[in-house]
Amino acid sequence: MTENGVRLLPVDENAWRLEAYLRRGGYETARKVLTTMTPAAVVAEVRKAAIRGRGGAGFPAGMKWGFVPQGGAGPKYLCVNADEAEPGTFKDRLVLLRAPHQLLEGMLITAFAVGIRSAFIYVRGEYAQVSRRLEEAIAEARTAGFVGPAVFGTDLGLDVVVHHGAGAYICGEETALLESLEGRRGQPRVKPPFPAVVGLFRSPTVINNVETIATVPQIMAKGADWFLGRGLAKDGGTRLYCVSGAVRRPGAYELAVGTPLREIIDVHAGGTPEGRSIKAVIPGGLSAPVLMPGELDVAMDVDSLSRACSMLGSAGIIVIPEGTSMLEVLHATARFYAHESCGKCTPCRIGTAWILKIVERLRSGGGGGADLDLILRLAEGIKGRTLCPLGEAAALPIHALVTKFRGELERTVTR
Amino acid sequence: MSYAPSPAALGKIDAAIARYPERSAALLPVLHAIQDESGFVSPDAERWVAAKLAIPPVRVREVLSFYTMFRRAPAGRSILQVCHNVSCALAGADDILRFISEQLGIAPGQTTPDGAISLVTVECLGNCDHAPCLQVDGVDHGPATRETVASLIEELKAHD
Amino acid sequence: MNGGKPVCLTIDGLKVQAYEGTNVLRAAEQAGIAIPHFCFHPGLEVEGSCRMCLVEIEGLPKLELSCSTVVRDGMVVRTSTDRVREARKDVLEFLLAEHPLDCPICPKAGECRLQDYYDSHGLYASRMVEARERRAKKLSIGRGLLLDRERCVLCTRCVRFLQQVTGTGELGIFERAVRSEVGIFDGAPVDNNYSGNLVDICPVGAITAEDFRFKTRAWFLARRPSVCPHCGRGCAVVIESVEGYPLRRSEKRVYRVTARENPAVNGFWICDLGRDGRHDIDDGRHIAVSKKDAPVQGLPWPEALAGVAAAIRSVPGPERAGKIGVVLNARLTCEELALAKSLFVTGLGLRKIYFAGRKPGPADGLLLTAERMPNDKGVLAAGFTPRLPSLGELAGAEVLLVFGPYLLDHFGEDAIARALAGIPAKYLFAAHAGPLDRLVDAVFPVAVPAEKSGTYINTEGVRQSFAPAVKPCPGVAAEGAILACLANTLGIAVGETDAR
Repeated sequence: MTENGVRLLPVDENAWRLEAYLRRGGYETARKVLTTMTPAAVVAEVRKAAIRGRGGAGFPAGMKWGFVPQGGAGPKYLCVNADEAEPGTFKDRLVLLRAPHQLLEGMLITAFAVGIRSAFIYVRGEYAQVSRRLEEAIAEARTAGFVGPAVFGTDLGLDVVVHHGAGAYICGEETALLESLEGRRGQPRVKPPFPAVVGLFRSPTVINNVETIATVPQIMAKGADWFLGRGLAKDGGTRLYCVSGAVRRPGAYELAVGTPLREIIDVHAGGTPEGRSIKAVIPGGLSAPVLMPGELDVAMDVDSLSRACSMLGSAGIIVIPEGTSMLEVLHATARFYAHESCGKCTPCRIGTAWILKIVERLRSGGGGGADLDLILRLAEGIKGRTLCPLGEAAALPIHALVTKFRGELERTVTR
Repeated sequence: MSYAPSPAALGKIDAAIARYPERSAALLPVLHAIQDESGFVSPDAERWVAAKLAIPPVRVREVLSFYTMFRRAPAGRSILQVCHNVSCALAGADDILRFISEQLGIAPGQTTPDGAISLVTVECLGNCDHAPCLQVDGVDHGPATRETVASLIEELKAHD
Repeated sequence: MNGGKPVCLTIDGLKVQAYEGTNVLRAAEQAGIAIPHFCFHPGLEVEGSCRMCLVEIEGLPKLELSCSTVVRDGMVVRTSTDRVREARKDVLEFLLAEHPLDCPICPKAGECRLQDYYDSHGLYASRMVEARERRAKKLSIGRGLLLDRERCVLCTRCVRFLQQVTGTGELGIFERAVRSEVGIFDGAPVDNNYSGNLVDICPVGAITAEDFRFKTRAWFLARRPSVCPHCGRGCAVVIESVEGYPLRRSEKRVYRVTARENPAVNGFWICDLGRDGRHDIDDGRHIAVSKKDAPVQGLPWPEALAGVAAAIRSVPGPERAGKIGVVLNARLTCEELALAKSLFVTGLGLRKIYFAGRKPGPADGLLLTAERMPNDKGVLAAGFTPRLPSLGELAGAEVLLVFGPYLLDHFGEDAIARALAGIPAKYLFAAHAGPLDRLVDAVFPVAVPAEKSGTYINTEGVRQSFAPAVKPCPGVAAEGAILACLANTLGIAVGETDAR
């Protein structure tokens, strides 16, 4: 979809450079915002656009910005969450590779709106290649004066530091990200206080996903109403839907929020390869409960998927074909969360490990239906009891797999 | 046996420290710089880092042992990472892993006797539209096939 | 910390008032409602990781942590609903799944939170049939402390204590997920004067003291409050002892000194010096009056003191001020000091009244004071002007009463021997055997502070009264009883005391 030529990801893979971005009108929106608008007006517009965070939690960005106390003598920080690690998700990689200046322009506008002078981009450690491109873009922007002191001759100066993670999915959780940025183990903090008030180095901090910030220039360029109109649901705009698994054209597709799942799979990703049919679809990254073939007409927006007892999450769509062993999918899922649990809180630390042990025993032929009941019971013991959403991220998909594929799992394990 | 980074690494380390308002916040980039140069972070290096950032050595070890990208012991020249999460598994990651194991004569978690290649399984690398995904020396490879993997291994073995 | 404003909330139907800023767990505790927890400790920052203290809060959909939820006016809390009990059972089951069945050999048995909570939550069978994580069970982490990683529930109290209270940070959490474990850096063990608190605060038997393991069982211990006499802080302590079974009928022993909470003095902690001070109670004690190295067993005190009284009476009244010397110390309680004043100053008119005590040491910036005597302020409050005697001043006396061994802290044994050699009548009142014993005519066994009742005034002026926490051996008497008896024998009225 390329309405009005406004895209997040340029079609040309080499159009990431500053000069190409400038030719597309890059940084003009930031200039307009910084030189003619008030911060409050920017926050109001972003609020009106109702853009939901594109990281996984889906919290409205404008509302989050509004929680930062105004004024105050100390520093405020912007942290861009580029710790993309939700299995099935690769859109932030593409934004960083193909639209880094869009991200930087979004960061400028965000910093202006909230009174921030210092930004960190937390890039997952495995994105080394990606990060090199990002650093080049920042250097370009610095040379051109878009990053650094007195941008556009205003009193907004913005420092940008790229920080690399080192292999921890949990660092995508905002308070664990802050801990990691402060040089510690990536373990989530108790909330309240929330990062908007006590965040990085104890200062008010805004944390937003890469794609969310990179979408801000669009909103300010064309206005909240335009943005709302681009979506099919009450959440505005377009967003990047990742598709992988058994499809002809895996990739990221920039589509209206609320596009039906079936359309994304069949029309944009080319449907399943010849002769294969869909067994199940994970709609929003591994943490999203699996959907059955009959549930694929759901609109891909936060509320619709919530009503379907799943979630939009990171919009990482994984298409699982017939012939796949769901025990293997269950194993990969249980193994992932047991590996990524940070270990701080009891239910997740022990529950994810316990579930994995049971699944591994089932895989080597030592179990039965009662074990599946126990897995469900343990998932219940984790859900709603943990310090951070990784608990739900583990419990909900495991619960869905065991419930929706109970028959197959029972047959497999009792053979 | 005391540890000291090379002047180049020290330059990266000092530059990293300058980027954070608090010294100890630079711990991750400092550990990356040391590992990039030495291949791993030894106990002596931990002590050096602790002194450099004015934190107790136990804080360094806490971080070093938490993040999976950090190594506390020497490994192969190249670390060949194979993703085994769902999208890659659906694309045949298990077969690729088996193939690599056979070719190298080692199991995941081990290093070839000549010290050239360590094989590890990893979780999602964020490259799912190129599944099955590999990453080695910070470079992504995918979609991996037996052919592409075979020539990759040749390349890695030939690398000095 | 107390905020100013009181807040009214309801907990389990009970109307509770708490200061704003208090968390629900503490507010409930203050109202007599115990909410199970592992990681929370009032002396440490909130951690929120054990998930045991979850409660229902009206109006909120999920269960909330009582340790991190701050009280609000009108809040309605329920700590015992089915939903809450179910959550607790689940947390317990998770913890027990990865916990070894060590109770029969674990020193924490009888005072272990896992045991206590399991006991009160249904004694159900575990559903865990998988292999547990196996870990190191006897890691030396410094200061006689042992870490059992299989028992550890990762409450992180130990790590946080060393970071937030002592600032020494020797312990850390290594690895991730279920492989997480407590540990030290190579060659950097726990090494500070507060290490014993780690055993107190560990909710299970993960951190234990080598000198307590396999010595006794928690349920044999009588726990009685006292005040530590080893420095000027006067930390509130608990003396934990066994008398009789399972020891022999007449045997007694102090196994442990632990911290008692006193917000005005020591907060939640005590130092290792105070803990090690328990040896003071049992080791090397005089248990009988001895005259020139011949112990006189079971002599009643009036008879034992008869010689002292006779010596004092033998000095004519007007000469007593110059010829009778008394060396007191600041381990005497306020009551004993008042008695001493009545007897020696008012009653006998003595002027040569001196004080000797432990020399000051380095203060550690936390609890340990430079002063190493518990009642220096008490001495001043009793109206004494404490002064160390010179040996020459002592040598000139005809009768000398020395309370405590502290002259040895200031003078060499030989010099003291020479000074005392010419004194016709010299008596020692001491709790422990020592070099002064052979220099005097008789040694009278006195009680240690744990065996006494009385009052100390600490260096900050806080008065603390305590009762006996252990029984002394028969034949051992508190200085107060001795002074009262002596006064009685001399026919001097000294007012009400708890004389024996």
